[in-house]
Amino acid sequence: MLIGIGFVVGAFGSISFPLGFGVNFFWTGIVVQQVGPIWFGAWGVIAGAIFPFFSNAIAGTPFYVSLAYIPANAVQAFLPAWIFRKFKCDPRLKKPSDYGFLLVGMIISSAFGALWSTMVVLRGFGLLTAESTPLFVWGWFGGNVVAGIVFNFILLKALSPVVIRTSGFVKRWWS
Amino acid sequence: MNKTLLGYVPEHSPIYSVHPFVKLFFLLVVSLFPMFISAPEWNVGLMLGIMLLMIYSRVSLRTLKMYIPVAISMGIIILLSYTLLGGVQPQYQQITRVLGVSIYWERLRDALVVYFRVVPMILSMVFFLSTSRERDLIVAMRTIRIPFVVTYVFAMALRAAGMVLEDFHIVRQAEQARGFDATGKSIPYKIRKYVMYMIPLFALSLRRTEEFTNALVARGYAFAGEGARVKRADFVLTHYHFSVMDGLYTTVIVLLFAAILVARYGFQRLTVEDSYFLNWLYSIIVSAA
Repeated sequence: MLIGIGFVVGAFGSISFPLGFGVNFFWTGIVVQQVGPIWFGAWGVIAGAIFPFFSNAIAGTPFYVSLAYIPANAVQAFLPAWIFRKFKCDPRLKKPSDYGFLLVGMIISSAFGALWSTMVVLRGFGLLTAESTPLFVWGWFGGNVVAGIVFNFILLKALSPVVIRTSGFVKRWWS
Repeated sequence: MNKTLLGYVPEHSPIYSVHPFVKLFFLLVVSLFPMFISAPEWNVGLMLGIMLLMIYSRVSLRTLKMYIPVAISMGIIILLSYTLLGGVQPQYQQITRVLGVSIYWERLRDALVVYFRVVPMILSMVFFLSTSRERDLIVAMRTIRIPFVVTYVFAMALRAAGMVLEDFHIVRQAEQARGFDATGKSIPYKIRKYVMYMIPLFALSLRRTEEFTNALVARGYAFAGEGARVKRADFVLTHYHFSVMDGLYTTVIVLLFAAILVARYGFQRLTVEDSYFLNWLYSIIVSAA
């Protein structure tokens, strides 16, 4: 289901605010990618790594470029969830430190995603010049972090109390 | 009309006589063609070829309308990236200056090469999505013996996407019925109100997940343990037959790819220097400059 939501929400973001080649000024899919693994552990990470492949395809990103984005998407999904589990944060965001750790996870993972996607993937495919790379690095990074700040906290705060009561909630990584 | 991943195709479309594996193979291999072609006219030829296939398959070309803004914005970004943001390159041939920035022929040429590489790659993806149903993708994956678990996760993901899209429309209609109208509002306003879609969408999906889980458990599916070791019948595969024509199509795709590689690396063709279009454009721009 998470892949399904990511597919729809990610494609919406990709079509609405495109910078090019699957990079967006405001990518709403990041919400599913980062909140999903916090709730559903490794299953969420798998979904977070896979769904952009589908949403990018719909939004007009070439097949092999989408495929090469997978490591960036996997890290973006994994890191906030890892920080959350490592520092025993509460998905209901009860303490200020929960907000702090989530923000740090969002920033570091998005920075990695931005660097990988532009400097490895887009430069590797010869789609960008060295001079225009910073625009795409900032586009990816800003597009993810801003959307994350707008939605991640609200979603965790609003839905975590419900999610942790369902059988789908994964406290560790697999169960 | 049959619903495909990206639209509708008439029930009697000739594309349904083609085995789903051939369509997947077309996507995987034809997407590689532009990477080995630098001359834009050849990539334009490839684009026209794919569009002809779409017409032959009776895919409505209106599907492409959705990609026009993407193609335009991508073209502008590539052009800006290679020209105005291309930096100072004294080794290149300057053709003009715009806003105090030198524009070089080599940069303009590279922008055109890259753009006409990306567009056929996108078109081949659009062709695949326009002509394939969820079931086709499953059949193609099972034909090449991709593990059941992987195929099943893909199938569930595609099915879930359809369900989420349906939920999204329900949520939107419910918001509209309560008087919510974002028409004419600013983008920051729309972004703020987007939360109104996200929360119900997630909540509905959680409920769907429970239903999904119960259905899977009831049918005895498992990703690990004893249940995962059960050999399952590929019922859907019995509806498809890999015919001689399918073999022929696959061979043609392989031969075309081999021909491109030989032309590129054996005979140094399909290159920038070999491009009639770029040479013609160069003569015009340089004479104008």
